[in-house]
Amino acid sequence: MKLFKNIGLTGLFFFGIIACTNFVNYSAVENYEITADAYFQSPADYQAAVVGAYDPLQWLYMDVLIGDIASDNSLSGGESATDIIGIQDIDNMTQTPNNDVLTSLWKYLYEGINRVNYLEENKNKINFNGKEALYGEVYFLRAYYYFELVKFFGDVPLFTKARLVANDSGSLKRNPKSEVYAQIETDLKNAIKVLPTAQSQKGRVTKFAAQALLGKAYLFQDKFTEAAAMLENVMGVYSLASDYGSQFLKSGENGSESVFEIQYTNKSEWWDWQYLPQGTEGNFGIVHNGPRAFNGPIYASGWSFNVPVSDLYNSFETGDTRRDASILDIVAFANATGTTYAEGYKHTGYYNNKYIPRAGESSAQTELNYLTNYRAIRYADVLLMAAEAYNRSGNDAKALGYLNQVRRRAFGDTNHDITATGATLTQLIWDERNFELSMEGHRFFDLVRTGQAASKINGFIEGKNEVFPIPQQEVDISHLKQNSGY
Amino acid sequence: MKSFLVLVFLCFVGLSVYSQNNEIKGIVVDINGVSLPGVSVIIKNSTKGTTTDFDGNFTISNINVGSTIVFSYMGYVTNEIVMNNLDFLKVTLIEDTEKLEEVIIIGYGSQKVSKISGSVSTVSKNSIEKLKPVRFEEALQGQAAGVNVISSGSPGSKPTVLIRGIPSYTGTDPLVVIDGVQLTMDDMNSLNPGDIESINVLKDAALSAIYGVKGGNGVIVVKTKSGKRDVKTTFSYDSYYGVQQVTNTINVLNAREYMVILNEASAATGAGVVFSNINNTVGTNWQKEVLVDAPIFSHSLTAQGGSHTTSYFISAGYLGQDGVVGGGNKSYFNRTNFSANFNTNLSDNLVFIANTSYANIKSSGLPENSISSVLSNALNFDPTVSPYDADGNFGISNTITQEIINPLAQIHNTYNYGNNNKITGKLELQYNVLKNLKVTSRLGYNYVDIYGKYFNPLVFYGVGHNSTNAHADLSPIVTTGSDGTRTSTHNRVGETKTNYFSYTYEIYGNYNFKINEDNSFETVLGMSLGKNQGENVTANAQDVPFNSWDYADVSSATGSSASQTAGSWQYIKRNLSYFTRINYDYKGKYLASFTGRVDGSTSFGKNNKFAFFPSVSLGWVLSNEKFFKSKIVNYLKLRGSYGTVGNDNISPQFSRISTFPKYNFNNVIVSGSTLQSIPNNNVSWENQVQYNIGFDIKIFSSKIALTADYFQKSVSDLLFNPTLSLYLGTPDYPASNIGKTKSYGTDISLTYKDTYGDNFGINSSLSFTKAINKVIQINNGDKFIWGAGYGIPWTTLTRFEQGFSPGYFYGYKTDGIFQNQNEIVSHATQDGAQPGDIRFVDINGDGKIDAQDRTKIGDPFPKFTVGWNLNLNFKNVDFSIFTYASIGGDIFRAYERNLNYTNRFAKTLTRWHGEGTSTIEPRVTFIDSNNNRRASDRYVEDGSFFKIKNIQLGYSLPLSLYKKSGFTKIRIYTQVKNAFTFTKYSGFDPEISSGVLDTGIDRGTYPQPRIVSAGINVKF
Repeated sequence: MKLFKNIGLTGLFFFGIIACTNFVNYSAVENYEITADAYFQSPADYQAAVVGAYDPLQWLYMDVLIGDIASDNSLSGGESATDIIGIQDIDNMTQTPNNDVLTSLWKYLYEGINRVNYLEENKNKINFNGKEALYGEVYFLRAYYYFELVKFFGDVPLFTKARLVANDSGSLKRNPKSEVYAQIETDLKNAIKVLPTAQSQKGRVTKFAAQALLGKAYLFQDKFTEAAAMLENVMGVYSLASDYGSQFLKSGENGSESVFEIQYTNKSEWWDWQYLPQGTEGNFGIVHNGPRAFNGPIYASGWSFNVPVSDLYNSFETGDTRRDASILDIVAFANATGTTYAEGYKHTGYYNNKYIPRAGESSAQTELNYLTNYRAIRYADVLLMAAEAYNRSGNDAKALGYLNQVRRRAFGDTNHDITATGATLTQLIWDERNFELSMEGHRFFDLVRTGQAASKINGFIEGKNEVFPIPQQEVDISHLKQNSGY
Repeated sequence: MKSFLVLVFLCFVGLSVYSQNNEIKGIVVDINGVSLPGVSVIIKNSTKGTTTDFDGNFTISNINVGSTIVFSYMGYVTNEIVMNNLDFLKVTLIEDTEKLEEVIIIGYGSQKVSKISGSVSTVSKNSIEKLKPVRFEEALQGQAAGVNVISSGSPGSKPTVLIRGIPSYTGTDPLVVIDGVQLTMDDMNSLNPGDIESINVLKDAALSAIYGVKGGNGVIVVKTKSGKRDVKTTFSYDSYYGVQQVTNTINVLNAREYMVILNEASAATGAGVVFSNINNTVGTNWQKEVLVDAPIFSHSLTAQGGSHTTSYFISAGYLGQDGVVGGGNKSYFNRTNFSANFNTNLSDNLVFIANTSYANIKSSGLPENSISSVLSNALNFDPTVSPYDADGNFGISNTITQEIINPLAQIHNTYNYGNNNKITGKLELQYNVLKNLKVTSRLGYNYVDIYGKYFNPLVFYGVGHNSTNAHADLSPIVTTGSDGTRTSTHNRVGETKTNYFSYTYEIYGNYNFKINEDNSFETVLGMSLGKNQGENVTANAQDVPFNSWDYADVSSATGSSASQTAGSWQYIKRNLSYFTRINYDYKGKYLASFTGRVDGSTSFGKNNKFAFFPSVSLGWVLSNEKFFKSKIVNYLKLRGSYGTVGNDNISPQFSRISTFPKYNFNNVIVSGSTLQSIPNNNVSWENQVQYNIGFDIKIFSSKIALTADYFQKSVSDLLFNPTLSLYLGTPDYPASNIGKTKSYGTDISLTYKDTYGDNFGINSSLSFTKAINKVIQINNGDKFIWGAGYGIPWTTLTRFEQGFSPGYFYGYKTDGIFQNQNEIVSHATQDGAQPGDIRFVDINGDGKIDAQDRTKIGDPFPKFTVGWNLNLNFKNVDFSIFTYASIGGDIFRAYERNLNYTNRFAKTLTRWHGEGTSTIEPRVTFIDSNNNRRASDRYVEDGSFFKIKNIQLGYSLPLSLYKKSGFTKIRIYTQVKNAFTFTKYSGFDPEISSGVLDTGIDRGTYPQPRIVSAGINVKF
């Protein structure tokens, strides 16, 4: 009898345990994790997701370097011929589809787009005051990311409805550039409708920023009339900084000339730099431009990439205040101050004085953590874009007005005003763009847009180098067609 | 035991019948002179007899001169002695090792070796005692066929252990089961190898399937020592002291050679010489500066014994090992162990077992096997710099401004400390419901508490060096911005607390029965329930007073509250399982076994919470057949098994909103959010199908034994994180079951054991392990996954790729050196190439050298490994030697930094410097426009090696010398570990371990030092 009792008890025990199979169910809250199901329940969730959509802007520091290194403005530099090979190749116009810099760029831009689309996907979960205006920022960001993509790669996969999931992998094809531009226009028009003209927080997108970007997008499609009309909305809203160079200092951040600025700060901690570039709020691009083994005042040491060439330095007219504000003549500076430095690869004797490590502007991870914002759209740029748009749509008078505003600030007088018209004026406006905007990441795309690239850039192959190669990894995984020539 | 009881009974009967007065007294001892209680002492061909008492003494009355007394004791060879007189008799019984090994521990039970139809490798206590390993895995290397162990020289570090190859991408660590408690290899740093009784490696599905989803990488079953009932307490003390030494250094340029080469490299770019005077510098050999002779010592004291109802084993141990790189101030591993294993009868049929093991580990380490490791700095730092300058400060290079630093300064500036407390054990009740039905209820637990601290002081490695954060006087660098704001550099301290806790509750019944005497069944049925959790809290602060380690603590740091940060993480995993096993044998001739386990885990998707893992095995003992008549072959068994096991090495999946993204408005950082991970509700177990066939044969009176197995493992639903289209952005993609792998190979173990007369014994074993791994399918866009890499800029090197072996090296193939411009022109377009540069092979034949020309350039895993063990005993002297060979693995030399001003390696002296001067070594230049240093077969070397891993010579002092002092054994020995390495590899050590897809990349690996030691074993 005892035997049966024992067996029975044992059996009962087993059955008792069998009943509790939910022992292996898992709920994310056990690890204090937020799941998607529990999100987008309050305006704060939307606000946070929008911040998340801004975040990838900070990862795009290499776009800025490439804009000049790929052009005739600057050389790759760095420590040696193998220091960031992706950059070295781009300088030589020998970039291949296996270019880590371009691959990262592609990924970061698409992360931005997916974050925007995740907001699109959840747009209608709740309603609250200010939601429409908030989505204005969201659509601007998508336009910004897609614009960078078309500038770099031409035709790219286009999607807008929702964040992609694993099953979408390999399912997309490249959409024609025109369709991408159409989406950029739609997004910006929608943004303009709802965005406020001013934001209480510096760094947030305004209606004018959206109009300026839309004008730029038109210009890149040679839609001069639309561009002129759109940019006209921004005229007079901003004013040029009286001292050209001051706007690139810390004190000039988000200044009177700033239309759209990508925000960085040195308040990230050193451990945030373990997750590059996602973890940090500092501008990682800055240290790349710094003078090598620098030991002296005002500036700080860096990695000697993106070194301006003497042709650029010498191209400025006498009396143009923009030369020294744009380019640091390290040899002269060293002689004057007793500074020591080392010569990096492709040393030219010049450094980018707009985006350069400045003493005291980094903290925590002091070598890397620079606060320098990227002035993505400056009012001077808007004026020159408007000048070009008017000139190329037949209104030279308007064009000259805007162009000379820029020149008067540069020279501090009216003696350098331009009076030319027609095609001559067009070329002068293009040249002026580089005097004004050199070393700010615009040059390569302007040269391509205006058809000057082949004549200005060594090694540039027409019909190929207008766009960069689609990352090989993407071609392999997603079977996207490669750009021709690569 | 049964026969013992019968004997006692018979003795009792016998004593009541006879009543003569011839009495004999004596004592029974083992070969070490330890008295043996409970030995049966019977007069041959009679029922008369007795058993020895607690002290091994016995008395037999009524005995006649001329009779034979039979002494028998479980586990010992029976001894028969003819009584020529009735003097005091001292009888020595010799351990029967063969019989001891007959029963081995397997999952949820034990089994006679002769009845096992699965595949198992065993390492005995004897091998462990001879090897004196710091971690027990060392004892598996070359001793357990089928197990490949790749060790590291770093004190206490976890080696790579591969049981029969690499079937999985998500981890290869086998499950370790200690006395029934499931643990991981990460827990093994706390196990004192001296406490181990035996190690059994369950290699095939027949044996490991009872651990189901945990068994995919094989199972190592460890039994720790326990006491014996009715045995007086015996104490044992073991101690050794050794000196560790790195015997091999790498040839780098000396100061003069360095200057000559740099001048040439500079001249190659058209610039002037770097050093105008190359004659009067005394150089520094940095390797000599950082490699030190470091001590290792160990003490271990154990007590074991038992009363009639209780047995116990108690041990205390201490191991101190200093690092040979940098020395014991900054690199050490000190372990203190206490264990107590108790086993007691609560009632006639209820046994209670409590095993408790406590370990404390204190450690400190220096960076290793990376570009920032001490050895990497020692190899690459400027040899013209003195270790210290005239003022006694660390020497500084004016030309090296990136990463590479004076390694002595690095050692000085590295501060960290870890304190690890661990309690592992079990509480177990065994209830003998019936004679053959036993129910076991067991709670196994493991609690780990880890405290860590680091301190990053203000350091100075030269002005403008990117690792410098202070002025030369170590004051912080304060800078003032254009608007007057001041920023400063800071020192930093961080403290971290981590807890791991896991428990497994198991209840199972073992029921053994027979049908018609010939059909024996052994069955198990049970269930298991386990939880595994971990949590961590970290705090960091800056501005430690006096920039000093003595004051380094978060509590003492004076930095603003804004500069203090805290973080935490945690995880939870639960498993629920049911298992059964039925072993059957017919007359010991035909064997069959069936195992099944149902496993459930929190790791898996909603749609696949449970899975079933079955296995079957069959065996045929030919030598038990009537028709089998051989004088040579004593034993022959054929075995075969088939089954499945699994792997659940992934995290639970869900759509996770991350609050990690940030942006800043108004110069204030604001937190954002994004969807960070996307779940896969269908994700399931990695199902591994295994086949095994093998045989065991013993010949010449079992003096020679051979076991050979062939295995095959295939995984058809390999788990890994897919690489998806890049346009999906940067979220985490969940693991999916989207690949296939296959492994196959052979394990062979051959042993030879013999004695010649009373004084000479020989015992030798040879093990052979071969496993070939292949990735059959990767359902990933590009059919591969990147593994590890090296260097700055980061270069990924290893791949897990369809059609290849896992973790192979991927890079360019070289084809000599361009001797002149014509050769460059006639070769495929290779941008930047100049005469003297390396010619790379145009693998895809498209006429240009680019990333598409990369291919397989090496495979880090050996084709096979062989271990050979020889033990000799002659009278009181014992000698053992153990060698290990690993053949066919490649090594990628990744420690060469190759900055313009870093040091070069001796082969640079044979560089190209004009047509015809070299076809191997490229020119030196400051502008390497050809990128000669790209990952290529230039850096791949054959890493095959033959090591004499251990030599030990021992001498047991004759018992007569100290018999009266109470000692029962004193043995002294001397030992040399890692005595000699024979290899063609040019680096420190060809054995390089740091994770499976990171095997064979030498970034300045921590070499295994030669350890010369002397020790003593005492029993009393």
